[in-house]
Amino acid sequence: MTLLVTFHWGFHLAAFLLGFGMGWIAVVHRARPVPRYLMRWLSALALVVVGVSLARLVPGRYGYWLDLALVMFAVYLVGCAIGSWLRDRVVSRHVPQA
Amino acid sequence: MRGLYRWSNKWWPGLIPLAILFVFAAWSNTVPLEAELAARAGAALKGTVLDKTRIAMDGRDVLLSASAFSEEGRLSAVSQVAATPGVRLVNDNTRLVPETKPFVWTAERDVVRVTLSGNAPLPGSKARLLDAARASLSGTEVVDRIGLARGAPPRFDTAVLLLIDQIAKLKEGKITMSDQTVTLAGMARDLGGREAIAAALKNLPEGYSVASNAVMAPPYVFQANKDPVTTTLTLSGYVPNNDVHAAVVTAAGRKFANEKIVDNLKASIGAPSGFAAAVGPALGALSRLSTGTLVVSDREVKLSGDALYDVAAAQIRETLGQSLPQGWVAKAELSVKPPASPVDSTVCQQLFNDLLSKARIRFEPTKAAIDPDSAGLLDRLIQTAQRCPGANIDIIGHTDGDGTSEADQMLSQQRAEAVAEYLTRSGLPARRFSAIGLGSSQPVADNDSEAGRAQNRRIEFLVR
Repeated sequence: MTLLVTFHWGFHLAAFLLGFGMGWIAVVHRARPVPRYLMRWLSALALVVVGVSLARLVPGRYGYWLDLALVMFAVYLVGCAIGSWLRDRVVSRHVPQA
Repeated sequence: MRGLYRWSNKWWPGLIPLAILFVFAAWSNTVPLEAELAARAGAALKGTVLDKTRIAMDGRDVLLSASAFSEEGRLSAVSQVAATPGVRLVNDNTRLVPETKPFVWTAERDVVRVTLSGNAPLPGSKARLLDAARASLSGTEVVDRIGLARGAPPRFDTAVLLLIDQIAKLKEGKITMSDQTVTLAGMARDLGGREAIAAALKNLPEGYSVASNAVMAPPYVFQANKDPVTTTLTLSGYVPNNDVHAAVVTAAGRKFANEKIVDNLKASIGAPSGFAAAVGPALGALSRLSTGTLVVSDREVKLSGDALYDVAAAQIRETLGQSLPQGWVAKAELSVKPPASPVDSTVCQQLFNDLLSKARIRFEPTKAAIDPDSAGLLDRLIQTAQRCPGANIDIIGHTDGDGTSEADQMLSQQRAEAVAEYLTRSGLPARRFSAIGLGSSQPVADNDSEAGRAQNRRIEFLVR
């Protein structure tokens, strides 16, 4: 896992910044949200995929690509979370002053 | 936390550029990552003894193919690759090197190369053996056909290194070691090489034995080459010891009075019995040739060249075999030198004088029997007499003044007659020769010294 992070650090940084930007926008964005039931399904799917990766069930390059995709997705989610949290702090600080 | 959940359902639009980013990362970094992991795995195996190691990467998974020399080594190799940072799985395709029984190693030498084949127990052992062979056989091509196998006997390297030293002593041959049994065959490079190999084999490690040692000694060769152009007699090859060496050179000096002796002989063990007794008569036969070569190889005497006349060739063929010790074989390949052109009496006299000024006809002390060492000189005197067929020749005997005048006269007469008879046996008519004994009445030197007396004991030829 360390190798995956260090070897692709540029792509992970890009994924983080992408996530950060998406999180920053999501707080005030009026896009249609993903339905709750679908979110649950997607979360369950993500857990299954993580399980498959940890169990090393997918061989060779496909296994490597699965691991890489999961790490980039995780970094993206962290970026989203940090971006949304910071944007929420900025928005809530402006509201009382207005 | 609730906010985070609420916002997360609006994060999905970023997944599309994320997917593109992932595709780009996978496309550009997969091969470099595999190369990096292969290098790391290879480095992890540096300290492990393996053969035919092959590392193939598939993503982060390693396909490890190798031949190990023990089960511990095999498991250790797999675990070391598995512990390499970044490696996800190891597909184990390792196996043990096959065990052979019997464990055979061979070294075969021909004229141009030494071929090492069979098995060695480890790559390091194989490299050590090859290095030793190249050092020991410098200048000879060493061909490596050694495989690797398990099941080598203990102290394999020590035994094989000793055998490599022995192959260097062979001209051609084969050494085989099967488990702890050694077999040797071939021809030793030098005289004494067979004995040296037999002595070295006693130092084989404990448990090893020699099943058969069929190494043969090279032929024991003595050569003499008579060259009339340079008037040299070249002696080469081997003699058993320094005493025989001195005796051979002395005998050659007596038999080849006109030739310069070039002595290239070397002393070596391994001479056949009767060597000295065979070389003496063989040199005597060579001395009777105009040009010729004598080769004594083991117990075979081979004489080739040109005799001075027909009867001499026949005599040499007949007497050479008889004069050799029992068990020796003589081969004479003789031709006859074309007769020289006739000359008149004056030239004939001059030729006799030339011959007798360089050498004397020798007799046994106080007797009239001609010394066999004078056969070469007598043949040249006969050849000269053949060139002046119309001339009559007085053969005049002289002695030193050691005895009474009657005894000296009688001895000189008998010696002159012996020479005349020898010449007659060659086919010359007896009527051409008159034997005259003058005793010590006409000395040419002072009889007080041995050198002077030796000059006075002489035979003269006077052409009439």
